[in-house]
Amino acid sequence: MGTDIFEITVNFVKMVVIFLMMVQIVPLLVWVERRGSAFIQNRFGPNRVGPLGLTQLLADAVKFLTKEEFIPERGYPFLFYAAPVVAMIPATLALNALPLSVPIQVEAFEMFGQTWGPYTFLFQGYEFGIGIVFVLGVSSLAAYALLLAGYGSNNKYSLFGALRASAQTISYELAMGLSIVGVIMLFNTFNFTEMINAQSGPLSFSFLGKAVEIPALPNWGIFYQPLGALILFAAMFAEANRLPFDLPEAEGELVAGYHTEYSGFKFNMFFIGEYGHMFVASALMVIFYFGGYTLYPWLTPESVGAWFAGFSPTKASVLTALVLHVVFMAKVVLFLWIFIWVRWTLPRFRYDQLMDLGWRTMLPWALANTIITAVVILIMRTSWGS
Amino acid sequence: MLWEAIGFYSLALFLLFFGYKTITVPNPIHAALYLVLTMIGLAGTFYNLGAHFIAGVQLIVYAGAVMVLFVIVLMLFDLRAEIRSFTRGLFSGSLKVISAAMLAGLALGAANSSVAIVEPQSLPAAVDTTRQLGHLLYTKYLYAFEALGVLLLVVAVGVVAVSRSKGGTHAQH
Amino acid sequence: MPSIETLMHIGLPHYMFLSAILFSFGMIAVLMRRNVIVMLMGIELMLNAVNLSFVAFARESGSLNGHIMVFFVMTIAAAEAGVGLALAVAIYKKFHEVNIRFFEHLRG
Repeated sequence: MGTDIFEITVNFVKMVVIFLMMVQIVPLLVWVERRGSAFIQNRFGPNRVGPLGLTQLLADAVKFLTKEEFIPERGYPFLFYAAPVVAMIPATLALNALPLSVPIQVEAFEMFGQTWGPYTFLFQGYEFGIGIVFVLGVSSLAAYALLLAGYGSNNKYSLFGALRASAQTISYELAMGLSIVGVIMLFNTFNFTEMINAQSGPLSFSFLGKAVEIPALPNWGIFYQPLGALILFAAMFAEANRLPFDLPEAEGELVAGYHTEYSGFKFNMFFIGEYGHMFVASALMVIFYFGGYTLYPWLTPESVGAWFAGFSPTKASVLTALVLHVVFMAKVVLFLWIFIWVRWTLPRFRYDQLMDLGWRTMLPWALANTIITAVVILIMRTSWGS
Repeated sequence: MLWEAIGFYSLALFLLFFGYKTITVPNPIHAALYLVLTMIGLAGTFYNLGAHFIAGVQLIVYAGAVMVLFVIVLMLFDLRAEIRSFTRGLFSGSLKVISAAMLAGLALGAANSSVAIVEPQSLPAAVDTTRQLGHLLYTKYLYAFEALGVLLLVVAVGVVAVSRSKGGTHAQH
Repeated sequence: MPSIETLMHIGLPHYMFLSAILFSFGMIAVLMRRNVIVMLMGIELMLNAVNLSFVAFARESGSLNGHIMVFFVMTIAAAEAGVGLALAVAIYKKFHEVNIRFFEHLRG
């Protein structure tokens, strides 16, 4: 956590701020989703409350908070209450483990008549040293929110929705994990920061033992792992229970799936969990395949640091981190828009098609991707003619 | 030292409380959910012991996959309330409790006398541990690793064979 | 009664005691409960307790062999859970209950 009270406080505040960032992006995303769907479907969307309908979000929040609390009579109240809270935990914990920018170096300074030694603050909630494994482990707990909601509601539709959703989640987790194995082999690390550092230069790899460099392109994972990126992105849709994989809440068959019985703010918490999942998924795509917070020819930690050479070291470090954070968020927002775009473009799968896609298409392709990656890495990194 | 003790005792309390709840609540779904919490506490304990990768795997395999399967199966059964969740018979029941208590005593005694056996040493940092773990797994223990792969294949085939139903929605007329 | 010093100095015996108690919990569940799935959960608890002692020993002896054993135990436990749940489903399909006493009808 830290060595003195200042460091501990800053680290704690950092975690809370990252959590609030996840929560605060939800109303914006809801607005983008509604206006975006209207744009795609050639409608207007919400445009009455405030400029461009932006204050619709505040009106919605007031509506959510003042709605009647409803508890199913013969359900399990504790599980019913626990489910929305559990729905928010995985995304929060996973987001806190992702590096959102370069670490901030703070020089020693005077405060309250005392010298506070130099610090290094990571631009992330905490660093466990097992990066990807922690994120995968935490996001595999997401199935419990659905199961708790379905069981606690004591409602047939909720239970069916929960069973469908959890079966879907654990089926697609396999393809997701296997597609990440390719990335781990490629960068030879579990650590997100090391991965991003490996992607901050020009495209360079060893071809049959000889080093090759292509200065025009950045060293992004997408150029090495296109199939893995596609599988991971598709699996992320299923993990977040979004269209085209939103069978758990198929309105036509199951009323609203596992959150049939939820109203008001508890429903809103499920919503926050879903959008948090989207946020984490986009951030993972950016970190694994699109260079994280770097943009090779123009915005790398070194070149941005050179912009602020005139400032004091602490100030320069903070400004560099903020600029790179904006780069990261711009990439993430691009992916979030793709999530919304896909939702309003593709039709939904049938349930057996969904399971077929997961087990008979994506899992074999992910396995093939893993094996081919391993073999190609072995061949390329060995120097053959001596 | 103090922080280590606080971490250990809070984790131990967490584990023992939820472990106790797991074996005593009558509703099997509640038992499964308590067991999930026990598994998460164990992942924390592994992390505390420096086995970072094992902690992550514990979270993925046990809490994320095995226990989800348990909960799904229990929900499919929809067992309302168990009328008799514990074994019947005063004599056999007390015999079982006594045998469990004897085993616990034996294990505690063994643990107590095991103190002097091993010399405490320290493992290298976490990332290196994972690398070495992979290296050991693919060199020294390669044969056992491959055998496990075969075992998993056999188990997968066996499970499909056992649970293939001849009636219900998959009936072929 | 151990001294405060022994209680506060966390070492191998503390983890061994914890592991032993958890193992006994698992054993009690297997012996006392009648629901097959809860018995399976007891087995999982016992395996986890053993894993805990493996990891504690690995830290004490500074060797990674304990971690490897944990790895294997986890794999076997996952496989065992799969088979056990399949058997429970087979029992349930026939008797609509998962009590251990129906297992004697499984032959043939």
